[in-house]
Amino acid sequence: MRRVHPLLAGYAWLVYAFMYLPILVLVLFSFNASKFGATWSGFTTHWYAVLFGRSDVREAVTNTLLVAVSSTALSVVLGTLLGLGLWRYTFRGRTALTFLLVTPIVIPDVVMGVSLLMFYALVRHVLPFQGGLFTVLLAHVTFQVSYVGLVVRSRLAGYGPELEEAARDLGASGLRAFLHVTLPLALPGVLSGALLAFTLSLDDFVVTYFTSGSGFHTLPVLVYTSVKRGVTPDINALSTLLIAFTVLLIVVANAVGRRGGAREG
Amino acid sequence: MRAERAVLGALLLPALLLACQRAEPVQSGAGAVPVARGDGKTLRIFMWSDYIDPQVVKDFEKARGVRVVIDTFESNEAMLAKLQGGGTAYDLATPSNYFIQTMVRAGQLQKMNVQTLKNFHNVAPGFQNPGYDPHNTYTVPYQYAATGLAYNAARYTPPRESWDLIFGTSDTVKFVLLDDPREVIGAALKYLGFSVNSTRVPELRAARNLLRTVVAKRGFLGFDGGPGTRNRLLAGDIDLGQIYVGDLLQGAAENASLKVFLPREGTTISTDNLVLLQGAPNPALARDFIDTVLTPRVSAAISNYTYYGNPNAAARPFLDPLLRDNKAFNPSQADLKSGRVEFIEELPPGRPPRLFDRIWSELKSR
Repeated sequence: MRRVHPLLAGYAWLVYAFMYLPILVLVLFSFNASKFGATWSGFTTHWYAVLFGRSDVREAVTNTLLVAVSSTALSVVLGTLLGLGLWRYTFRGRTALTFLLVTPIVIPDVVMGVSLLMFYALVRHVLPFQGGLFTVLLAHVTFQVSYVGLVVRSRLAGYGPELEEAARDLGASGLRAFLHVTLPLALPGVLSGALLAFTLSLDDFVVTYFTSGSGFHTLPVLVYTSVKRGVTPDINALSTLLIAFTVLLIVVANAVGRRGGAREG
Repeated sequence: MRAERAVLGALLLPALLLACQRAEPVQSGAGAVPVARGDGKTLRIFMWSDYIDPQVVKDFEKARGVRVVIDTFESNEAMLAKLQGGGTAYDLATPSNYFIQTMVRAGQLQKMNVQTLKNFHNVAPGFQNPGYDPHNTYTVPYQYAATGLAYNAARYTPPRESWDLIFGTSDTVKFVLLDDPREVIGAALKYLGFSVNSTRVPELRAARNLLRTVVAKRGFLGFDGGPGTRNRLLAGDIDLGQIYVGDLLQGAAENASLKVFLPREGTTISTDNLVLLQGAPNPALARDFIDTVLTPRVSAAISNYTYYGNPNAAARPFLDPLLRDNKAFNPSQADLKSGRVEFIEELPPGRPPRLFDRIWSELKSR
């Protein structure tokens, strides 16, 4: 094994410290008795009790997960199809479509949020509906599809159509070839696209805010709109729980991955 | 073939779900929380975060057998954008006074007819018939925020209660200003003896020149919001901070050495108002709620929770002593009348507001 130069190692540690210290501080202050973050005035788990007593937070967590899971499911299916289509077929307007695919990724969130708001307002002339889960879901899928599509397409970019053709030559039906050859090849792309879509949905504030109508809020909306009047420590408690949950998820994923890897090897 | 059908099913399922989802909003409203338009059972309020005592809401829900849904926004502009987009079903909102006329022009407000509210007479005279809504046609004052200078008495004691401490020639005081153009430029105008709503170009130029020297000071440590300033005072990073009195008093409840004063040259004040929105599904319930908020005990309970100013004269006896006895929390009627404590008003369209913007971008990009 090659030894790492101590300077490089030191630098790496610094970078990690810069990234993780703020998170550590946040975790620490979720146990701070003071309502205001600046000074330490004793250990307490009070904020966790407050947090669990807040129905608006519970509602926001449920909404956030509901939107994230369902929009990811939808966008993975649509995005994968899109990615596959762009990879496999050449057709008129493909360049234009690729361009359109990139647009939701590069335009600012505000532009996207406001344009969706205006679009919904327009549709409402014909179809009087209220904002809520459905409008947010649709908005999230709109930008998620792009990410999934792009990831899937670049995952497949190295392969030609000959693998599928070979499968067809061996007597596989179109669907069978897809299920046994193309899909497994694309799967890492599909999965990382799904993860990306899920995270984006979980994080999104701007688009959600503008498309959510009344009475439907998600966690990021709840947190962001409290900034003006000061984030209360129960939100720190909530963030701590989320971080713990994420870490757990990564550990589990790693463990599962290692087991899977061992079996293969 | 079975595999084929499974895949087809998997592809169609989301489409089917989508179709079902779609049918629902048309009939009953939002996806997760059905909007029962006009059933008199759900009150929807759009307000600043953490701006009402949860107990007040619970009591109201219980007394009337209704549900109160509260959504929050973080700026007047974002609130209006969302309302204008449609698809919302809010009954009440809490815009700031300098945003009222904008909302009236945008056709977002319903006339309130305050004379029919049982408890409107509780509103202090200084807060009735305000300049931004001369006959209380659209608004009932909810809470107000005067802007003061705050300090941590355990670490620093200001020699006098004046803007001069930070706008004067001294270069030793460490301070922050509010991250808000109307507040910062308003304070400079006030210090120079002008109105915070001045649209005279020479006066604005003078304010700009003053602010240029202020932000160039060694002690100037940037722009911040109320909560940030409060925390920096607690930590001892700064000596003085321009702050909304309410934000500071929240901290003072926990740490008695946090103090705030209204500078003698005068300062700004703004109210947040209860307004009845155009297209409110439950206007009767909304008016009932406003009337409840105007009762002395409820009104005091809200201020005791938010630490923001209370425009309700009858609520005074029920206020927390920390608030009741605080001069910065209670600008006198005389101060309001004389304009020493002056309402921030909406600027007319045209050149001066652009000058405000220009001064602000220059200060921020210094």
